Amino acid sequence: MASLKDIQRKIKSVKNTQKTTRAMKLVSSAKLRRTEELAKKSKVYANKLNELINEIAQKMCESESNLSDTPYFNTTEAPKVVDIVFITADKGLCGGFNSQTIKRVNKLMAKYKEEGIEVRLRAIGRKGIDYFRFNSISMLNQIAGLSSSPDFEKSSEFIQEVASDFIEGRTNRVVVVNNGYVNMITQAIRENQLLPIDPIKFGVTETCSSSDLELEPDDNDALLEVLIKRYIEFSIYYALIDSLAAEHSARMQAMDSATNNAKDMVHQLSISYNKARQEAITTELIEIISGMESMK
Amino acid sequence: MEFFKLEIVTPEGVIFDNNVKQVTLPGSEGEFGVLPGHATLVSLLDTGVIVIDNAEGKEIAVAINSGYVKVDEEKTLCIVEGAVAISGDDNEIAAAIEAAKKLLKSAETTNATIATAVSKIEKIKG
Repeated sequence: MASLKDIQRKIKSVKNTQKTTRAMKLVSSAKLRRTEELAKKSKVYANKLNELINEIAQKMCESESNLSDTPYFNTTEAPKVVDIVFITADKGLCGGFNSQTIKRVNKLMAKYKEEGIEVRLRAIGRKGIDYFRFNSISMLNQIAGLSSSPDFEKSSEFIQEVASDFIEGRTNRVVVVNNGYVNMITQAIRENQLLPIDPIKFGVTETCSSSDLELEPDDNDALLEVLIKRYIEFSIYYALIDSLAAEHSARMQAMDSATNNAKDMVHQLSISYNKARQEAITTELIEIISGMESMK
Repeated sequence: MEFFKLEIVTPEGVIFDNNVKQVTLPGSEGEFGVLPGHATLVSLLDTGVIVIDNAEGKEIAVAINSGYVKVDEEKTLCIVEGAVAISGDDNEIAAAIEAAKKLLKSAETTNATIATAVSKIEKIKG
């Protein structure tokens, strides 16, 4: 039996941990609300941008140019090199959030390797970087500090490099893997093919309706290229926000259960503390009584 | 008086969404105005100022860095990367102008573009 003092010390330490986890939960829930708001706002932008791309792509397929001629839309060729961009958190203590993403990345890598496709990794977020570095799997590039505070400029800088690799043929496909926010208690792994873009995703149909849309500058390709670039930049930015929201909700849950566990533990410990105390009293009493008995 | 709907959307949210009489946009091929019933058009936007003639006949300036506009007969949609609307009372306007200047400078354009934009903003404010 542990001594009274030991148990007391233990209770105190567990209570301290509980305080920390509770505070972390509160922080996460406040941050989650802010991120959620951000996600909602950028969703509007994303929708409008998609609409616009759709219309221009539609317009292009009316004209003589074939969509799959543009590199961005060429989905027909089998890829030789695939880039996996994955987003993890910079910090831990959020349950299975990071490991789920990493697991999915590993699975994808195995799948592509089986098909004889070369895989290159691009990591965002310290936890993912640490994992792959520890397992000595090389990464093409890595950014830490971006996933905890998504920044449009930094993320577009990052993705522009990926896009130029794609255009110059160093990679044939870009896949983004991140853990996304569904609601307060659920996160889901998202796996998006960023490049080449599937025209079907934008609702481009083979039979095009004719519209008298005028373009300025009067160069479909140039306009579409700028739009696609913006689309890619925005997609990765959105993935970052989505991942951040998911991270906060995951951490909130993890910290909530940690607080509850600490509570249970304090309860258990106080029971054993009380038992130990009672025992000590009983022993003392027995000593006194037996002492008195022997004096008679 | 005829109106049409104007929406200005940025990654940070919707800046403007209302009925307007007329809007002047800094297109990449030159500035152009849009009135109700304009032909369908998609254009790139350069750094500059969007001047809105709103339903009450007031002028509103919105500084932008870059983006696109899609015009059709009853609706105009601007998708821009960054935008600052100059509106509100005097204090707010002063702050907004500062923010707008910063935004324009960050767009890495020529000083002439910035100067034109700023003078436009100041004209409208006054």
